[in-house]
Amino acid sequence: MNLAMMKPGEQGRIVRVGAIGPIKRRLMDMGVLSGEVVRVEKIAPLGDPIEVTIKDYKLSLRKKEAEGIAVEVGK
Amino acid sequence: MSTQTTERREQAPAPSGASDSTYVTIAVAGNPNSGKSTLINALAGTRLHVGNWPGVTVEKKEAWFSFDGRGIKLVDLPGTYSLSPYTQEEIIARDYLVQERPDVIVNVIDATNLERNLYLTVQLLELGIPVVMALNIYDEAEQKGYRIDVKAMELMLGVTIIPTVATKKAGLQDLLEAALETAADPARRPKELHYGEDIEAAASAVERSVIGAHPGIGERYPKRWLAFKIMEGDERVLNDINLSGIDAAVKLATAHVADVHESDIETVMADARYAQAAGLTREVLRKPETKKKELTDKIDRFVLNRFLGIPIFLAAMWLMFKLTFDVSTPFVDWIDAMTAGPFKRWTEAILGLAGASDWMVSLATDGIIAGVGFVLVFVPVIFAMMFFITFLEGSGYMARAAFVMDRAMHAMGLHGKSFIPMLLGFGCNVPAVYATRTLENQRDKALTALLIPLMSCGARLPVYVVFIGVFFSAYAGTVLWSLYVMGIALAVLMGIIFKRTLFKGEAPMFIMELPPYRMPSFRSLMIHTWEKGKHFLIKAGTYILAVSILVWFLLNLPWGVEQRKDSYLGRMGQVIAPVLEPLGFGTWEAASSLVSGLIAKEIVVGTMGEIYVPKAGEEKKAAPKFTEDLKEVGSSFAVAVRDSAANVVSGIGISSITAQESSEEQEERSPLRRVIKDQFTPLSAYAFITFVLLYMPCVVVAIAMKQEFGTWKWFGIAFAYQMVLAWAVAFTIYQGGRLLGLS
Repeated sequence: MNLAMMKPGEQGRIVRVGAIGPIKRRLMDMGVLSGEVVRVEKIAPLGDPIEVTIKDYKLSLRKKEAEGIAVEVGK
Repeated sequence: MSTQTTERREQAPAPSGASDSTYVTIAVAGNPNSGKSTLINALAGTRLHVGNWPGVTVEKKEAWFSFDGRGIKLVDLPGTYSLSPYTQEEIIARDYLVQERPDVIVNVIDATNLERNLYLTVQLLELGIPVVMALNIYDEAEQKGYRIDVKAMELMLGVTIIPTVATKKAGLQDLLEAALETAADPARRPKELHYGEDIEAAASAVERSVIGAHPGIGERYPKRWLAFKIMEGDERVLNDINLSGIDAAVKLATAHVADVHESDIETVMADARYAQAAGLTREVLRKPETKKKELTDKIDRFVLNRFLGIPIFLAAMWLMFKLTFDVSTPFVDWIDAMTAGPFKRWTEAILGLAGASDWMVSLATDGIIAGVGFVLVFVPVIFAMMFFITFLEGSGYMARAAFVMDRAMHAMGLHGKSFIPMLLGFGCNVPAVYATRTLENQRDKALTALLIPLMSCGARLPVYVVFIGVFFSAYAGTVLWSLYVMGIALAVLMGIIFKRTLFKGEAPMFIMELPPYRMPSFRSLMIHTWEKGKHFLIKAGTYILAVSILVWFLLNLPWGVEQRKDSYLGRMGQVIAPVLEPLGFGTWEAASSLVSGLIAKEIVVGTMGEIYVPKAGEEKKAAPKFTEDLKEVGSSFAVAVRDSAANVVSGIGISSITAQESSEEQEERSPLRRVIKDQFTPLSAYAFITFVLLYMPCVVVAIAMKQEFGTWKWFGIAFAYQMVLAWAVAFTIYQGGRLLGLS
């Protein structure tokens, strides 16, 4: 399961951030770290990017970037 | 240490340290959207000096002023989420802090978003530079029911914390006082936060082996920070200290840490820093049990809605476009009329009285005054555009616009935020190029700027209108529409080509905060707008004026030239004409007109008028009547103000785009229209207007690109590809049309 597969309203915990280089660093700086709880809020009208809530603020990222973020969806 | 000497130090070289200067250097650091620029504006206001950081396009704001009898130099660092060296902004902020070592850092924090903001704070503390924290947007945090234990936070971080509301100027006096006190007291050093046994042990080992062996390095950098950077393998730092021979010890220490955490060292460090930020937030922040539905969520339910999102976005864009150009157009027309009318007449009269020769009068009026007028007509548009762009950004809507449009823009290799500059391009390419500064990434900025000139701007319209009026009046709308669509289609095509060639391998990313909606402060809006307008007037104005005078000389040299054909411009036209032959308009007249379009594309028509239509004798010069002129200046300005306001209120139809000429204009240009009818065929006319659409950005766009990027490189690329594109497309149209039997 990765972040791009989650539906709006779903919540999960980040297991692994698979990106590399500047993208990984940027994600980390924005608080996208393993163990963090993330909730998908919206998907843009044209289907990409997505909006998530993490660390109590709203972040948007493209699905391509979200695909590299492995999550486990809470029960 | 008198205040008088420190008030005006703009010209003084930047001091490298605190000890040798008479004023206190305060660096302001913080996240984007933390209200940092509002805070800077509130502190320094009109004393702000806006420039660029050396060698890059990132804006640098500085101010010198005195407070409590002390001179202060305020430096605004670019807004960053981190001090990692991956974006231009981060590198600038970090290099400044490490190399210039300000006396104190004011760290602006969004009190409603503590944890992520504290991540930067944690990194600032590593530098060992005294820090004072502005706990900004404090009112909003209180409204949300947040309770922040400021005292506890001060103790844990070892810094003074002042709650502030920059939009209301609350807490700013205290903030400056605290900054000065902290700078003056060597005992006030921030705490060293403990990152965990293994990391600290590795850092000590690195510090011992590297800094112990090279004491010089330890003096140039904050030791603790340097140890972390060496562990993280920060290439910029490693290159700078030229580390060799001892990296075995470093590798061993960091590898051990990474192994223990089963991860790479960068992630381990980011985790450790965020753990500090999270721990601190847990300790000091109390949130209310029940969470109110927030305004931002309510607005976003509509603005980012699956069905409504795009219509709302398009409506907002239409409104902005309309306001930008409708508000400014009456003022543009006024400036145009004034420089061509009263000011020209007065100058002629004054120079005439002083006994100046004809060519001097012509240089003064057709060269200099026309040039000045030409600079001034851009000012209203730039002011209006800057105002709206700043509003969109400050309110938080810009990020939403990018979110909604990203998918479409991404297809041509662009960022969601590129849409707005591209759209503005239809009005005028110049503010559009300036608007690319809302894009954070250099790659996105450059690619957007390269494609903007393909958006058919308002200045190209007069050329289309003349030709359409002569040849295609029956289906004017369709022909005009075809030109706009052709520009867009070619922009998509070029975007895809550039993405695969010029920008190959550069990873585009879209990882963007959607900040809460906020009302930007009016003061901040005005300061921003004013700064931009001033910047344009001074910097760009000088170039434009120079080019305008140059073109005058091209038209009027060699001395005493009678025929336009023999002037330098005419000769250039004769040289270029053969190249345009296969496009169907290989005459020196057409070529010269196109050359003069370098200044602005609408000038093509004016030059054609001058070249094609022989002068009907000296026009009689009316004696200028100063009082009447003066009245005209005043009353027509009042009309401009009224029209501008009326345009905002009426809000229907885009008045700036129309394919109709007024009857007056038609009258004026009827001789030109007859000549054009003789000289062009419908096919060559269409090839010609296509060429005008595509052939090159005007000189003002060139200067805007130079200003935004600090180099002529991007204009050079734009110039080259557009020339090739224009020729190729016009060639295809003309020759293809002939093959199909058109004429």
